[in-house]
Amino acid sequence: MEQFKSRMLFLISAVILVLLYLMSSTNLIIHEKKTEIYPVSVIVEDSSDEDYEKLRKGMDRAAEEFHVDLSFITLYEPNDQEQQISLIAREISDGAEAVILSPARPAQAAMSLDDMMLNSPMVVLGELFPNEKVTTGISIDYMEAGRLLGTAVKEDGAAGPVYLISEGLDYGYARELSDGVVQVLGEAGYETSLRTLYTEEDCRNLMEGLAASGEQRAVWVALDENSLETAARMMDSSSEYCRQVKGLYGIGGTNRILNYLDKGIIRGLVVHNWFDEGYLSVEKAVEAIQGGGIKEQIIMDAYYITKEDMRDPAYEKLLYPID
Amino acid sequence: MKKKVWCAVFAVLAAGILAGTRLAWSRGKEEMQQEKTAIRLGILLYRGDDTFISNVRQALEEQAKLYEQETGIKVVLNIEDAKENQITQNSQLERLISLGYDALCVNIVDRSMASAMIDDAMAADVPIVFFNREPVEEDLRLWEKLYYVGADAKESAVLQGNIVAELYQKDPAKVDRNGDGKVNYVLLEGETSHQDSLIRTEWSIQTLMEGGVPLEKLTGGIANWERSQASAMMEQWLEQFPGQIELVISNNDDMALGAIDAMERLEIPDPINVVGIDGTPQGVQALERGMLLGTVQSDRAEYAHAIFTIAAALALDEDPKKDIQLVDEKYYWTHQTILVQ
Repeated sequence: MEQFKSRMLFLISAVILVLLYLMSSTNLIIHEKKTEIYPVSVIVEDSSDEDYEKLRKGMDRAAEEFHVDLSFITLYEPNDQEQQISLIAREISDGAEAVILSPARPAQAAMSLDDMMLNSPMVVLGELFPNEKVTTGISIDYMEAGRLLGTAVKEDGAAGPVYLISEGLDYGYARELSDGVVQVLGEAGYETSLRTLYTEEDCRNLMEGLAASGEQRAVWVALDENSLETAARMMDSSSEYCRQVKGLYGIGGTNRILNYLDKGIIRGLVVHNWFDEGYLSVEKAVEAIQGGGIKEQIIMDAYYITKEDMRDPAYEKLLYPID
Repeated sequence: MKKKVWCAVFAVLAAGILAGTRLAWSRGKEEMQQEKTAIRLGILLYRGDDTFISNVRQALEEQAKLYEQETGIKVVLNIEDAKENQITQNSQLERLISLGYDALCVNIVDRSMASAMIDDAMAADVPIVFFNREPVEEDLRLWEKLYYVGADAKESAVLQGNIVAELYQKDPAKVDRNGDGKVNYVLLEGETSHQDSLIRTEWSIQTLMEGGVPLEKLTGGIANWERSQASAMMEQWLEQFPGQIELVISNNDDMALGAIDAMERLEIPDPINVVGIDGTPQGVQALERGMLLGTVQSDRAEYAHAIFTIAAALALDEDPKKDIQLVDEKYYWTHQTILVQ
């Protein structure tokens, strides 16, 4: 009897051991509760993600909160709309449950997406597309941002022509921005003209051409970050170039642009809360994945700031968000 | 008969354990094989706004795109900036590991704190390629899936010293500008915790002395690789030693540019000789403007290529040595060249 008992005890211990092993090391008995992780791809219009620091901080914060695995994808060449479209298709077929797109050429992107079968929802960092899978658009009111810049030029009282510098009106929301600037300055009697600058060379040629022709110095208003940064860099590199520009205004918030504002090379800047934009985009993407949310356009506030405003705590928080 | 029953019971138990283990293993393997059409690399930077690191970062992005186009293997790069905070970098590493990244490229904040990162990586079997800031050798030897890519600090320093020594041998008056038989210099050093700072300083000075340059140190300071800090220091020195500084030896280009900024700000009529290390685009521009006497360039494309090639091979479970030649099976030293006006 004793022998039987000890054998039974041994057998029970062995069975318990095996059960414990199966419970702890495999999913056979107890199914471990798995946190669902949402793969979301972010496709931007640039070839490097260096200038998206603030946006990414917001996205990363939201990614941690909502269990999102973010893939931040840049293009082979900046502003290549065709590649953006092919990347959307690739990411969705690779398992992205949602895509966040910062369109290079919004109008073209909207048309291309109309011809596509999107299997995952999309959030646009810009104006909402008609495609039913595009659930949210997040942006500032670019026309209003243009008006802010125009008003600043007018109030600074700089006389003479105004050059609107841009990589092209089809890129990003340069057209809307331009319309806003022209509306305010046109009413105030200013003469505005568009100057397309694709490269630093274009900018140098324009500045040297102006110096050689002896034309009246102009105020420059940049309609995109790249043009603004290029012009500021040129002005910073040479006092001769600096003299050609009566005042440089623009839109953007990369650290380099903020340094130029701080150095007084850029006179005024339209900024917005990129951190919140990034956070919201991921939050809305998760909502869309979970089947909730409504199709909506979120308009963010835009602010005009000068060098003096940079140390204002309200703007400081926006310009240099902490992790 | 009883024995047979017991044998059967144990056989069933053993089969159960084996089946469980096999199931878990095969699931893991399946997951691994599914990821082979894409690789996910995490890039952890000690400070994203360091000019040299920012250039390497750009080159890494270019490498990833080139690789994607050439091989058809999708590359997901996740670049994180620790802003000089080791705790932040540790949590970034933990997060990327938990998200299943295939390999990590780490520009560590504090080189003496690598072991915690290595432990986490080893536990998750995620290889690490350290770059630019070298962990201590004992840490690198902890696991076979740890590598280091960097520029040999002694070589950089010797080349930097040679720039000035050769100029002095050719025309002493170009270095000993006041002709008093001594070359008064100031020294701008990088972080004390960075292995390259001490080595660059020591070997640069030694090379100059061996090259017959009669050096006399006026002063020196630690500007932590930063342009703005170096600029402030140099401005102070220019006021403290008016007309006496004949040479600025800087541990990197950014600090050399800071010294140049100070000279431009104070409108020093006859620019002082300044030498740097790194050969950053900004440094090369200063060279072209005639403001920098010389620099030692480590090819950023080669640097990034080495980091990427090792990381990509490891991410695909391949041996990196088939694509790249390593020293002591762990180290890759980039080539360096002298750039002068």
